[in-house]
Amino acid sequence: MASSLEHFVNSVRNLSGEGSWRELYEFLGKSPDVLMRNSEHLDTVLDTLDPQQHSLGVLAIYMVKFMILNQSAIQNQGILVPEPEILINQVSQFITVCNGEQIRCAPDSFAELCNQFTQCLVEQEMPARGIVPLSKAIRKARMNETQLTSIHANLLQLCLMAQNLKPALEFLNVEISEINSENGYFDAKHFLLYYYYGGVINMACKNFDRALYSFEVALTTPSSAVSHIMLESYKKYILVSLILHGKVAPLPKYTSQVVNRLLKPMSAIYHEITTVFATNKPSSLELVLQKHRDVLQRENNWGLAKQVQQSLYKKIIQRLTQTFLTLSLSDMALRVQLPNVMEAEKLVLTMIEDGDIYASISQKDGMVLFHDNPDKYDSTSTVERVQKEVNICIELDMQVQKMEEAICTNPVFVKKASGAIDEDDGGRSSATSALQGAATKVPSFSM
Amino acid sequence: MNSIKSVNAVEPMQVDVSEENENAEEEPYIVENPTLDIETYTSSYHGMAKLSRLMFIADHCPSLRIETLKMAIAAVQETYNVTLYQQLHRKLQEAISGLTPAQIQALELPSYDVAWAESKMKKAALKLEKLDTDLKNYKANSIKESIRRGHDDLGDHYLDYGDMSNALKCYSRARDYCTSSKHVIHMCLNVIKVSVYLQNWSHVLSYVNKAESTPDFAESSNSKDGGQALVTHLQCAAGLAELATKKYKCAARHFLQANIDHCDLPELLSPSNVAVFGGLCALATYDRAELQKHVISSSSFKLFLELEPQLRDIIHKFYESKYASCLKLLEEMKDNLLLDMYLAPHVPALYTKIRNRALIQYFSPYMSADMRRMAEAFNTSVAALEDELMQLILDGQIQARIDSHNKILFAKDADQRSSTFEKSLNLGEEFKRRTRLLVIRAAVLRNQIHVKSSPRDSGGQTTEVAIPSSSGSSPRN
Repeated sequence: MASSLEHFVNSVRNLSGEGSWRELYEFLGKSPDVLMRNSEHLDTVLDTLDPQQHSLGVLAIYMVKFMILNQSAIQNQGILVPEPEILINQVSQFITVCNGEQIRCAPDSFAELCNQFTQCLVEQEMPARGIVPLSKAIRKARMNETQLTSIHANLLQLCLMAQNLKPALEFLNVEISEINSENGYFDAKHFLLYYYYGGVINMACKNFDRALYSFEVALTTPSSAVSHIMLESYKKYILVSLILHGKVAPLPKYTSQVVNRLLKPMSAIYHEITTVFATNKPSSLELVLQKHRDVLQRENNWGLAKQVQQSLYKKIIQRLTQTFLTLSLSDMALRVQLPNVMEAEKLVLTMIEDGDIYASISQKDGMVLFHDNPDKYDSTSTVERVQKEVNICIELDMQVQKMEEAICTNPVFVKKASGAIDEDDGGRSSATSALQGAATKVPSFSM
Repeated sequence: MNSIKSVNAVEPMQVDVSEENENAEEEPYIVENPTLDIETYTSSYHGMAKLSRLMFIADHCPSLRIETLKMAIAAVQETYNVTLYQQLHRKLQEAISGLTPAQIQALELPSYDVAWAESKMKKAALKLEKLDTDLKNYKANSIKESIRRGHDDLGDHYLDYGDMSNALKCYSRARDYCTSSKHVIHMCLNVIKVSVYLQNWSHVLSYVNKAESTPDFAESSNSKDGGQALVTHLQCAAGLAELATKKYKCAARHFLQANIDHCDLPELLSPSNVAVFGGLCALATYDRAELQKHVISSSSFKLFLELEPQLRDIIHKFYESKYASCLKLLEEMKDNLLLDMYLAPHVPALYTKIRNRALIQYFSPYMSADMRRMAEAFNTSVAALEDELMQLILDGQIQARIDSHNKILFAKDADQRSSTFEKSLNLGEEFKRRTRLLVIRAAVLRNQIHVKSSPRDSGGQTTEVAIPSSSGSSPRN
């Protein structure tokens, strides 16, 4: 009924004018039905409402539009189905101009909107168009720079699809220290997706260190069920670990049991690759990789597997640098199981240029001479570097201390702590002993 | 925090987990040319020890097989062990399957004595019954001493019969009826004996400790001969257990404390065994100072070494750095050692250790060494030597670098200053990484992020496990 729609518009206007975002948010929670029924008038309503002043209202309308889009044809009889192309444009525009303060009062709706927006773009196969709007959306939705929202995962997905990774890196390089719960909308899935995509993007940019870190975070998420995202993260974790360190470091103690019990048996191939890698025989590794080529390709890890093979050669040569001063090229080709001397020379040359080893090749004798790390750590750049690192570490330490203080002064915690002490033995009630006694109750982040 | 539920969303895959045996199956090997005189070798043993050694030799040495089996059959006829008798005869039949009848005649083999087997079994059953009823009577009379002795007798009988697990059970039951420390020690020794036959080494060690911690043990061990024999007995058993569990240094220590005058243990080890085990373990694990003090100048162990002049030569040559002859003698002894039941599985490991020690000791005084001369000294080729040295350097046992062009080994000392800088920078990185993980984890726990399986009734908070939609299009090289 037009009147209910008018009523809707008036309420939005009034409540927005008063700035009572709470009430408006609640009101909007009740209005999807009204809006659905009057779908053909939605565009006129959009014209009357100003996206900046009445962001929440406009947000609700777009949500309804997406709902209609996602419904099946049967349900949509009699309702005007919006055009995806136009809708995408409209939403991009909206995100650019909407009022951040209002948005932050309805975080779940906004996040849902962005999610729907992303899905629509993915279906329409136009991922690149969403990158800029979503970057803006993240900046508006988050409370501070280090906060994670579900929109982060959406952005990373679009960046990967569009193969445009720079915008993603900008967000990935910021250390996350908080999570925006978005009134309950934020979910384990968003967290896992963010870190999984983050790892993949870092891998593509050859930042294997950061990639490993991201996968590790994804794997240590508390869980009691198997998540496919975690499974994929685990497989990539193994491969990246092999490329970076030449072995798979064990996961921290606080990893949930699901990983050990269920994920490990599911990734038998990767464990096989690990064991073969440890034997330092490139030919056996080649055999194993060829054997599982189909599976690896299906799981999109074939490129990684090839890189693992390269890193095996590098690992073997690094071992040689630790034991030999000079080595003939033919000997080296033998030891590394390369087909001929030319290959060996080429490989050593690449490694020297990449800075993986310190050596020089003497073509006259056909010898490679290995040197020690020429960096004697006695220049000013070393001092600067050490200074910088120490400062960063001090900052981090202070951050952790602040977090600890926040917990210790939390009234709920103090009550629990002192309550426990009183139960056990009535004598001591000093603050320090309360804290000590309750230290066991604080979840221990055992590293 | 969220408790881990046991509901799993996905069926765990059936995976073939291959059970790893604790005692890895050793590959059957054949020893071709031992210079062992079986008569003298086995004369120092008695009972089950003799039989198990004879069987071991028969299994692994085709040239001596028939002789040992003959001796084993003769020995087993003195016990009640009929099952073993049958087993030995079967082996004998297998062994002679390839020979002509004339040769078989010449060997004068004992034939399978069915009558003996049956009568022994009957006797064994009778004796078992008698002992059982005796024990029941004693229990009815509740005289602790006789119950204890009854259990002991029953255990002895089971041992004779070849039923080790029952023997162990009986001996252990005697524990409750021990009234004096002498009884406790006696019981411990019995349990140790059976555990050795069963190769249950942790049992052996625990009972050795138990015996040593009985109150009167310290007294008796200092006073009279019986005490000394006891100490030796326990040390030999402990040494054997440590050897079997590959703790060579502890084993060496135990064996070196044995006293030859009291080393009369026909059911366990012979003195030459002690000499060989102790000497080899010490050679493999002791450094020069310890070797000098505990083995070469030790008055008690010297007497042991007299029994094995070859081993004595080896140890002396090693100490005098005459590695080529030392290693050659070791090779000659190898065949005989491979026939020893307890030492055989450890021979390769011990030999490698001894060889590595020799290499390290050879190189330790030098700044640079010519690898050709080193290879000569160690009876090997330069290429093989290079491989061995590479392994030692990677393990960190030698600080050196190989100059493969000129075939020289250069000693290298680590640059402390650079390595300190490197280490501190790495540690900084590690700290940063872990702290950041900590902060994220705190955020995760605070927001109660948890992967759950979706409940049947689609309630509000389902976290449906989803396959990531587009993980495949990331560029890779």
